[in-house]
Amino acid sequence: MVSVSLLLVPLAIAGAAAAQAAIGRPTDSRAVQVHTRMRDVALLAAALRDTGATVTTGPDTLTAAWAPARSTATFTRNADSIWAAHVTGMDQQQAVELVTNVDAAYGRRVQQTVLERLRAQAPAAGLRLESESVDDDASVRLVFEVEQERA
Amino acid sequence: MTGNPRIVVTVTGDGQLRAETLDILGERCLDYIAVLEQLIGGQVRDSSYTADHARDAQAAQERQLNRDVDPA
Repeated sequence: MVSVSLLLVPLAIAGAAAAQAAIGRPTDSRAVQVHTRMRDVALLAAALRDTGATVTTGPDTLTAAWAPARSTATFTRNADSIWAAHVTGMDQQQAVELVTNVDAAYGRRVQQTVLERLRAQAPAAGLRLESESVDDDASVRLVFEVEQERA
Repeated sequence: MTGNPRIVVTVTGDGQLRAETLDILGERCLDYIAVLEQLIGGQVRDSSYTADHARDAQAAQERQLNRDVDPA
């Protein structure tokens, strides 16, 4: 019997773990640039709204504003299509904390999206969902029965 | 867990997936890497054989050894 264990990363997430919330060179003295692992614009916008932001979308940018703090973050894509945040109205530590919160919301959005895809498309791949459970750390465990082994 | 082959998928709160194949014969379990990639729209970052594979390899080696020493 051969079994294999896998770690998969959705395309909505950049492959390099180091891309998560790394601080970049400030663009000016009032702004902090924070690199992220986020790729998908729709999921990013949803994640920002989950954190209470008002989101404005432009052709190549996404701007989020948080009213009480008077802080804003402008997201632009880098050459690898990964979004970076340019944060104003807060210091470097606050900016990293903000983007870390957005990243967590983004992860939950990706989790929801992946679960929906799995539930919807697994039957066509010959996989029957046998059970589903949620762990203490909010991970969702799906057990699929292989109805017909691939030739 | 015995009986039909299964794939156990865990989707973590940060959007990553861990998956493990159970009771899938031979190297066919590798076929499911592509299936899972297609299902989630993603890529495998890391993969490894589980203890089942190590036991299987050891059993195969022992079977070969027994054949080598069996005078019949």
